[in-house]
Amino acid sequence: MTKLDRPVIIFIGQPNSGKSTLFNAIAGYKAQTSNFPGTTVSHTHSEVYIEGKVLRIVDLPGTYSLNPVDPAERAALAHLFQEPPDLIVNVIDASLLGRSLELTLELLELERPLVVALNMVDLAEKKGVKIEISKLASLIGVPVVATVANRGRGIKELLHLCLDCLEKGGCRPVAPRWAADVEKYIQSLVKSLPPNFCGLANPRFTAIKLIEAGDTFCHEILEEISPELKIRVEEVRRQLEALRSMPAYEVLAAERHHLALKLFEKASKVERGRRVSFEEKLDSLLMHPFIGYPILIFIFALFFFLIFIIGNPLEQLLLKPWSWLNFWIHHQPGPPVLKAILDGLSQGVGAGLAIVFPYFLPLLLLMSFLEDLGYLARAGFLLDALMHRIGLHGKSVAPFILGFGCNVPAIMGTRILESSRDRLLTSLLIPFIPCSARTAVILAIVAFFLGPWWALGYYLFHFIIVAFVGRLLASFFKEPSPGLILEIPSLKIPSIKTILTKVLWQLRSFIQFAWPVLIAGSLGLSCLQLIGLDHWINQIFKPLVKDVLGLPANLGVTLMFGFLRKELSLLMMLQALGIDYLSLPQTMTRTDLVVFTAFVSLFIPCLSTVVIIWKEISWRAALLSILLNLTTATLIGSLLRLLL
Amino acid sequence: MTQRVVRLVEAPQGVPLRIIDLVGGPGVRRRLLNLGFHPGDLIERNSNALFGGPVLVKNLTTGTNVALGLGIAQKILVEIVDDQT
Ligand SMILES: Nc1nc2c(ncn2[C@@H]2O[C@H](COP(=O)(O)OP(=O)(O)OP(=O)(O)O)[C@@H](O)[C@H]2O)c(=O)[nH]1
Ligand SMILES: [Mg+2]
Repeated sequence: MTKLDRPVIIFIGQPNSGKSTLFNAIAGYKAQTSNFPGTTVSHTHSEVYIEGKVLRIVDLPGTYSLNPVDPAERAALAHLFQEPPDLIVNVIDASLLGRSLELTLELLELERPLVVALNMVDLAEKKGVKIEISKLASLIGVPVVATVANRGRGIKELLHLCLDCLEKGGCRPVAPRWAADVEKYIQSLVKSLPPNFCGLANPRFTAIKLIEAGDTFCHEILEEISPELKIRVEEVRRQLEALRSMPAYEVLAAERHHLALKLFEKASKVERGRRVSFEEKLDSLLMHPFIGYPILIFIFALFFFLIFIIGNPLEQLLLKPWSWLNFWIHHQPGPPVLKAILDGLSQGVGAGLAIVFPYFLPLLLLMSFLEDLGYLARAGFLLDALMHRIGLHGKSVAPFILGFGCNVPAIMGTRILESSRDRLLTSLLIPFIPCSARTAVILAIVAFFLGPWWALGYYLFHFIIVAFVGRLLASFFKEPSPGLILEIPSLKIPSIKTILTKVLWQLRSFIQFAWPVLIAGSLGLSCLQLIGLDHWINQIFKPLVKDVLGLPANLGVTLMFGFLRKELSLLMMLQALGIDYLSLPQTMTRTDLVVFTAFVSLFIPCLSTVVIIWKEISWRAALLSILLNLTTATLIGSLLRLLL
Repeated sequence: MTQRVVRLVEAPQGVPLRIIDLVGGPGVRRRLLNLGFHPGDLIERNSNALFGGPVLVKNLTTGTNVALGLGIAQKILVEIVDDQT
């Protein structure tokens, strides 16, 4: 048990109920939020000081029930059972109260200290649902607080209540009972549990999970620990099935469903015949079977051009001082070591500031807007049919779109997929999607020198590659994808504050983690050049760089750094060629530029991506991904060289 | 009261439908139950994405919106509920 002077509070709730937003409102922005069920796929911890007390709070992935069906849900439940918290905060989307209460009922069955945060009451009211808080609290037997997490409303009350529960040791609910005929069988199984059986929470809960969890809950080991119990469990299952003529787990699910609806009816009033809201009207356009597609294309094009329109002048503005600085360094007297270090530093700092930042910032802003609006799920809906062509379904669209931000969270995001086949296939395809760092550099270089249309074409070209490789990979998998089941969250117009907070947080992590790597890379290259080692590395890569791709051999050394972060290869191109940004066209032809960018952005998943594939899937998958990318990049690179 | 059991993909749009049965494997059934789709619930089928895309389904009982791939929508049996009753 945890020490009560630093109690642990976990946030559990159905996906998209606002757990991470609530967590951030308490702990400061630490957990990614967006209007998509399945944003959080692993836990985030934080220690907070409230009224002189230290609380350890944990944000978890959303889970629809305590019978997990995907790895993200399993991660949430591991926290609930492996290190029992001192208090559970069940976060509920008030606008979906009837359904959300099904999980609440399951949590009540645990009979552990519980508080309900009735979140999104603003949306519920908009929908015409009025909830009587005190009535709901007395019905379920635990305290309920109304909150609006994204505006910080109700947070104080919630924390106060949590502290109160922890201090007084209260808020322990009694498990709600079901229909007498069902309850009879549950109790009979409870009596058959061996006296020292290593169950969960309490005997009734253990019995329930034995009945309904199927293969997911210690079914195999049950055979070994207690064969008699296993026989009893199967007997009770058959009895329940005979009682309601449906599978046993559905009998229990139906019990909770009916109870939840009854609670919902008692605790709330639904106002009928209200006007259709602006969001709903907009939504029917976005999801329209015909109009939805032009809108999707329009949004994509707008996205692209806005980034370019904002990024381009910003880049021009920032490039000038940077080239002056470089010029100044080159013309200073001094020992070559010092000069090399200064040069490396200025290249690294300047590349981050003048090339990545101008495009990265608008990209983050727009992504954040689309995410918080809820467009990811809509895109998944619209693109499902297309995804079937490459052996996947619409749910993979969300990890793909996340991939445009960064491939690493995108691959973690595949945890929301139910089948391991879909997870593997999606993870293998994600490295082909240009992440924001790559996009920024592609825009900075391709669009800057060749014009925005080239960059757009280049982007589309990535989609074709994803489709092609996907098609190819899918033909190796015999079993079909199980198909799309995706909740579409209500459209939410995000506030500027929400967007800005999120973007600032992402920028901070770029400055903290990515920029130092850029600077270190540039410094590394400077040092290599100083001692002449770059020459040797170029020799090794020469067959590939010069003979296959027809590029200047000097670029070989940049590939080594590209493995760290792909944009490094492109940024270092100048340093490796020993030229200034603006004089690039004199050294590299248009074909050279396109071939090099294409090769670099495909040739190998960056180090962190390889590591995450290894961790999330397997080392075999990581290896396969490397080979797949290398082959594709070489093929595409040489093909482009011939065609252009 | 008219009673006609059809697959969700074949059901008309914009009218209340009652879920009669979910006939998928246990994985699909569990997912649907978790999302709040139970036999007996009233649902409404909305638009269909193009090119054999998914069906958009609204659960009138709980207020949830879910996109279901065609393969999944095949596995949901519904009856058409007469509005007058
Ligand atoms: N209108 C309104 N929006 C909210 C409220 N709380 C959160 N949101 C928004 O709802 C969306 C989902 O919030 P998250 O905090 O990411 O939800 P979550 O429960 O962590 O979701 P998962 O991690 O996917 O399980 C975000 O776009 C939030 O800005 C609220 O009280 N009112
Ligand atoms: Mg979350």
